[in-house]
Amino acid sequence: MVLKIFFPQCCNRADSGLLVGRWLSGHDSAVVLAVIHYPFIPGQVKQYIQQIQARSGVELSVLGSWSLPKEGQEGMESFLRDLSTIFPQKRWLQINRELGKTGFNCQVLSRDQNGRVIPREIKKKADKIDGDDGEKKGKKKTKKEEEKEKEEEKEKEEEKEKEEEKEKEKEKEKEEEKEKEEDEEEKVIFVHYEQRKVMLSQLHPIENGLSDPTTDPTSELRQMFRSVALSQPLFFLDRYDDGPLKSTHWQSEGREASIIVELLKHSTLPLCVLIRWLLSIWTWICNIRVFSLSPLRFLSSKLSTCVQLSYRTEHMRTLSSQKPAAGHTEFMRKANMVVSVLLDVALGMLLMWWLYKDNHISMLANTLVPAADHVAKELEELLQWLMGAPAGLKMNRALDQVLGRFFLYHIHLWISYIHLMSPFIEGILWYGGLSACFGLTFALSLLSDMVALLTFHIYCFYVYGARLYCLKIYGLSSLWRLFRGKKWNVLRQRVDSCSYDLDQLFIGTLLFTVLLFLLPTTALYYLVFTLLRLVVVLFQGVLHLSVDFINSFPLFAVALRITRSYRLAEGVKFKVLCEEPGTALHLLMEINPLKSSTVVQLYRTPTYSCYPKDSWAALAKKLFVGELIYPWRHKTTKTD
Amino acid sequence: MGPDGAPGPAVPWRKVLWERQPFPDNYVDQRFLEELRRNEGIRQYRYWTVVKEAGFVGEQLSCVAIFITLWLYMEQGQLSPERLLWSSLICALLGYGLHQALTSQVQSGCEPRTRLADLQSATIFLSFTFGFSPVLKTLTESVSTDTVYAMSAMMLLAHLVSFPYAQPSPPGSLSLNAALFASVCLASRLPGALHTFAMLSCALLVFALWPCLLQRLREKAPSHFTGVCVGVCFAGVGGLGSQWPGGAVLLALALGSVTLLCPLLLVRLQRHKDNIQGPWDEAEIQEDLSHFLH
Repeated sequence: MVLKIFFPQCCNRADSGLLVGRWLSGHDSAVVLAVIHYPFIPGQVKQYIQQIQARSGVELSVLGSWSLPKEGQEGMESFLRDLSTIFPQKRWLQINRELGKTGFNCQVLSRDQNGRVIPREIKKKADKIDGDDGEKKGKKKTKKEEEKEKEEEKEKEEEKEKEEEKEKEKEKEKEEEKEKEEDEEEKVIFVHYEQRKVMLSQLHPIENGLSDPTTDPTSELRQMFRSVALSQPLFFLDRYDDGPLKSTHWQSEGREASIIVELLKHSTLPLCVLIRWLLSIWTWICNIRVFSLSPLRFLSSKLSTCVQLSYRTEHMRTLSSQKPAAGHTEFMRKANMVVSVLLDVALGMLLMWWLYKDNHISMLANTLVPAADHVAKELEELLQWLMGAPAGLKMNRALDQVLGRFFLYHIHLWISYIHLMSPFIEGILWYGGLSACFGLTFALSLLSDMVALLTFHIYCFYVYGARLYCLKIYGLSSLWRLFRGKKWNVLRQRVDSCSYDLDQLFIGTLLFTVLLFLLPTTALYYLVFTLLRLVVVLFQGVLHLSVDFINSFPLFAVALRITRSYRLAEGVKFKVLCEEPGTALHLLMEINPLKSSTVVQLYRTPTYSCYPKDSWAALAKKLFVGELIYPWRHKTTKTD
Repeated sequence: MGPDGAPGPAVPWRKVLWERQPFPDNYVDQRFLEELRRNEGIRQYRYWTVVKEAGFVGEQLSCVAIFITLWLYMEQGQLSPERLLWSSLICALLGYGLHQALTSQVQSGCEPRTRLADLQSATIFLSFTFGFSPVLKTLTESVSTDTVYAMSAMMLLAHLVSFPYAQPSPPGSLSLNAALFASVCLASRLPGALHTFAMLSCALLVFALWPCLLQRLREKAPSHFTGVCVGVCFAGVGGLGSQWPGGAVLLALALGSVTLLCPLLLVRLQRHKDNIQGPWDEAEIQEDLSHFLH
């Protein structure tokens, strides 16, 4: 039978005293949480434990005694044994460490039904457990993975065989109690853990706090993590307090009492109230009936600035709520949001500083109009090229001319529009730049919208080309069926044969011929304008991606993972500190940090990019058939 | 005798599976080959009947030749579109009259098309063709002439292959469409929009309406049908000969082989036909099983 004792590293050199901790239900293991030193009054200890238990909700108990005799403190054996009668327990651990030696001796005293104490197991020697346990790590590092696996296997096997073993053990005890008392040995494994790290870490995958740990047989490790984390109130008892009890456990080196932090803490409350008030006004404005009219609503769902605004509103609403975060997940979510908002605003301020520093705004405005002119000129040249014999392709001359002139006229319209707008562009940019104080994401969204507006002519060309092409493709596909004497049966979703009239056949074939011969011309125009459109969509997509990255990237969680990797634990690994035949196994438990990819996946704030994306094949099919493509996602198709 | 060659016991063998018999499973007796049947349901062709039927194929071939001839005339400017249009109109009216006369002889069960519907169809044909002829004219401008010829040849071949010779009224979709496609391709090579219009009307007459009339003729007056076929064949050869003598010779050879040589081969090879049937064939359900289904 293996008894596992989770022992905090900070208690290695503690003065003698009582071990306070918890037996893990359903497992043969104990967690030592603290050592209460002599002298104490037993009544006070009991009272104190009850207090802590009420505050933390962990079933605390006195596990046994701990002794590290100093000079002049010899011969406490009988005293320690007497203690077990004061604190009646089913099992009483008696761990002592001899001065000069670095091993632990562990004695387990079982109490039978009569209340008689039976010293069941004596003596496990360990070599070297000290503050500098790192000495042996180097040797054993290669083994650590194997050890971990071994440990896990062991755990599983234990659980299976526990029942049998218990019975056997009992029988053995009854038979051989007197004769072979010394030979009968119970294996003890000391698992040394760092109390602070275990207390602060969160074991993944996160389970809901709803399940009751007493009824729910969770894993041993989880229970251990849980009990250490919950007994936080225990650790607030200061070593230097003048309380009735002195104890050793992990404790922080004093609270961080920065005046700035305190001020910030106090200022958050009115800030939250202010934000809530502003939000309520904003919600009221949004709910005015004018804004829910269909064209405005449609427009706002397509403008990325409005979408970004709605995201931020929601984030702010979450952040300013009065309820404290319930549970680890929600806390992380809020923290991520705060960090993302702060980073966003900081980047936006940086951008603003750059924009308004050297009058970059007017520079931008002055380059924008010539750039638009240049684009228009390039487009005109492209159209002229298309109206000739582009790449030696045989186009239908008449249709080519018609389409080319149509598009040229469009460009002409566009240029006039730009020139009409040119006096106002600087102002628009100036005021638009102010939006960067809400964050970089706002500025980027605004930029995306402005690009969309400035390249509206390209979008128009694309739509005309795509519609024409789409019409041709659909017409050709249905006329090709007519050509073969078939038709599409809508009810059965299949192609049926059909006998057409003479006039239907005649007109169908005529149209088929016309469409077939005009297809290359249309397809070329479609191809060219689709490529242009794709460039714009690509640019907008990059902007959207960066906005989405800032919105959803769990910066806080990733920073936590980098700086305090133990805070997000995926599991543990064990290192062997001392493994000699005939002595207790001493393991050092280290926390396995969560993988970075898992951190990002788990903690990212949900935005639209989390929804499944269109595949490239679907995009290619859309492009081939001539359906319109957009940088934003259709909400209706998403819900389907 | 069974395949094992075992001497048969006293019990006679019966061809049933539900009884236990002292024979191996693959046993058959001497009566096995008695049920062999040869060439069941064979039709004995007579040479001239086959030639008569094959004449229709030759006639369709000649129709294509006539259309090509007309196109050649148009392309070289020897036939003005007005003349073609007028003659087509006269042919169409004559043909329509004949068609009506043949229809009125026997009142068939199905409801005949009214004159109004015919007029409507004609209007649609003419207006669409006339409206589209300028578009069709410029349609293949940028496509090279060889491509257009190759496409037309392919389509005319497809027309000939997929033409429903047994039941040509109305002409099958694919054959008619292929012919129309070819005629649009060819017509777009002509010099003017009116030429295109005339050519397309002519194509409609040759490929869509003429088979309908011919079918009616075949039903009602088989003797005249043969004469008409022969006439069309000679017209085709003669017409092509006036423009392209080599083509005429080829056409004549093709017609000869299709109408005379192929039937001869068919009748000759009929003797070598040896098709055996017997009880080993898969079962054919003879009875009407519909009463089981209800």
